[in-house]
Amino acid sequence: MDENKKDKIEGNDQPAIKIDYDNIDVVDIMNQIRQNIASQARDEEAAGPCLANEEDRSRSEEPAKVSIEPDITYAPIPVSRAKRILLTLMRPFAPVIKLLVLPVHHEMMETINKLDYTNKRLDSLSDKMEKTLTQLSQEMYDSFHKTNLKIDSFNDSVNRRMDKTFHDFGKTLDRAREYTKLLHNLSHNIVVELTKLKVEEESLKIKNRIMEKDFEHLRQKEKAIEKQVFK
Amino acid sequence: MKIAFVVQRYGLEINGGAELHCRWIAEHMQKHWNVEVLTTKALDYITWRNHYTKANEVINGVPVKRFPVTRTRNPEKFGRTQKFILENEHKETDEYRWLEEEGPYSPALIKYVQDHQDEYDYFIFFSYRYYHSFWGINSIPDKSVLVPTAERDAIIYLKIFKECFRKPRAIVYNSLEERQMIQSLSQNTGVKGEVVGVGTEIPTEFFIDKFRQEYGIQGDYIIYIGRIDENKGCDELFDFFLRFKQATESDIQLVLIGNTIIKIPIHPDIYYLGFLSEEDKFAALYEALLLLMPSFYESLSMVTLEAWAMHKPVLANARCDVLLGQCQRSQAGLYYQNYPEFKAALQLLLSSPRLRNVLGENGLGYFEKHYTWESIENKYLSLFSRLEKEI
Repeated sequence: MDENKKDKIEGNDQPAIKIDYDNIDVVDIMNQIRQNIASQARDEEAAGPCLANEEDRSRSEEPAKVSIEPDITYAPIPVSRAKRILLTLMRPFAPVIKLLVLPVHHEMMETINKLDYTNKRLDSLSDKMEKTLTQLSQEMYDSFHKTNLKIDSFNDSVNRRMDKTFHDFGKTLDRAREYTKLLHNLSHNIVVELTKLKVEEESLKIKNRIMEKDFEHLRQKEKAIEKQVFK
Repeated sequence: MKIAFVVQRYGLEINGGAELHCRWIAEHMQKHWNVEVLTTKALDYITWRNHYTKANEVINGVPVKRFPVTRTRNPEKFGRTQKFILENEHKETDEYRWLEEEGPYSPALIKYVQDHQDEYDYFIFFSYRYYHSFWGINSIPDKSVLVPTAERDAIIYLKIFKECFRKPRAIVYNSLEERQMIQSLSQNTGVKGEVVGVGTEIPTEFFIDKFRQEYGIQGDYIIYIGRIDENKGCDELFDFFLRFKQATESDIQLVLIGNTIIKIPIHPDIYYLGFLSEEDKFAALYEALLLLMPSFYESLSMVTLEAWAMHKPVLANARCDVLLGQCQRSQAGLYYQNYPEFKAALQLLLSSPRLRNVLGENGLGYFEKHYTWESIENKYLSLFSRLEKEI
């Protein structure tokens, strides 16, 4: 068929159907529709149950990256002019002030130390969680992949077995059909033969009756002759 | 030639099925034969209660003899009997019991056929599944011709019918699929058979604007005509149509015509118009984009032929082998087996006026070639002349 003669019709969400309007063939149109449905179903299956397209799928294969850095930058506290002068004036008394502030400083250092320890713990926990999530998603992907493969192979084996069964069944059915025909013919022939036999039986009975009558007649004749002979 | 048409019901009130088929054939063949109709006094096919009082009357020029139904059907008892024979192993006597329940039980009709067989050349029995056809054919097999109007339902597999399909002088089939089904079931290849079908009567005039105005329908719509019933696939049709609307956001509407025995979903785009006059029905069909035919069981879909006569394409249920075969032979309709196919085929038909037009033209051509009254009458005449030559 000349492809150029065919017009394409595209539905809202379906691939084009080629139609030869000069020589329309509804079987061909329906076959194209069925092929489109089958290919769409295959595509959807390949995309997985939750992910609609390939982009989403590739995204799912990358390990999840969790940022632990806050989205801000460090900025020093601005020092005013008056504050700077006061700091300069207080500089000779700095050792005394440091001595007075020592307990506070100690507590502050302790707090900083604790905060540092907490940060490190959070970092390590975050790393651990990231690793676990990556591992888990990999396992899930592997498991889905394996399950899909298993389902595909199971489908294939079921299809093969069904094809074989249907094939065998078809053969058996054909044979049974032939046997039925033969039996039908046989019963027909039997009926014909039985009818013939019945007719034959009837004619034999009639002959038998005639012969019996003949015998009777001959017997009577014999008796009459005997009487005449031995008179 | 004097021919008697024997049918379960007969009258102008009966607007479909084998009864209408019989009436149209009898009315058209009366110009070739001396025709008479033998039927019962029943009108209601559920109970077969006697309705007509006159024993003799003339309908559209055809003399009709009516015989009383002596035992009406009890639907519940009939349902139980049918369920039993369809779901259990049973004896032949159970099937005879079912046939009596099926009815219409009119021994007077059968007695008349037996007693007056010499007055007629042939008796044409309509619908294999009823009492009158079974016992009529068994009484006068050599003078009987059967129009089975058989569908691929469970009843056809009953044992009593296998023998019944081997007995008549000839069988007039509605479709190639019907012939294939009956021949494979009963091995009746020795019985003469002809695929004939039936024509249709299109009103000489109908008014589209009046129809649209009267029923308040605007915009494009697709149509279903026939009994709105589960067996006719209407449940599935509603489900598919609503899913189609949701998936495609199409503004297409569905118009339903015919008596309903199931609940119709309430939706702004589903119009149920009930039983319409022939003029309104054809006006509705003329305005529709296409006809939906969701039925699972058909021996010949008369409404499909009407759609083709009106240049309309059809979207049919492919699980009905008769509809599938008709669509493929006529090249005048698409078909579906499931929702994805329904959606794709309907979308394709709605999106392409050219495709609808070409399919409609094919339908009209197919109708004019096979189903005009001239062609139907010739097929009947040819079959009966062959039967006459056999004698």
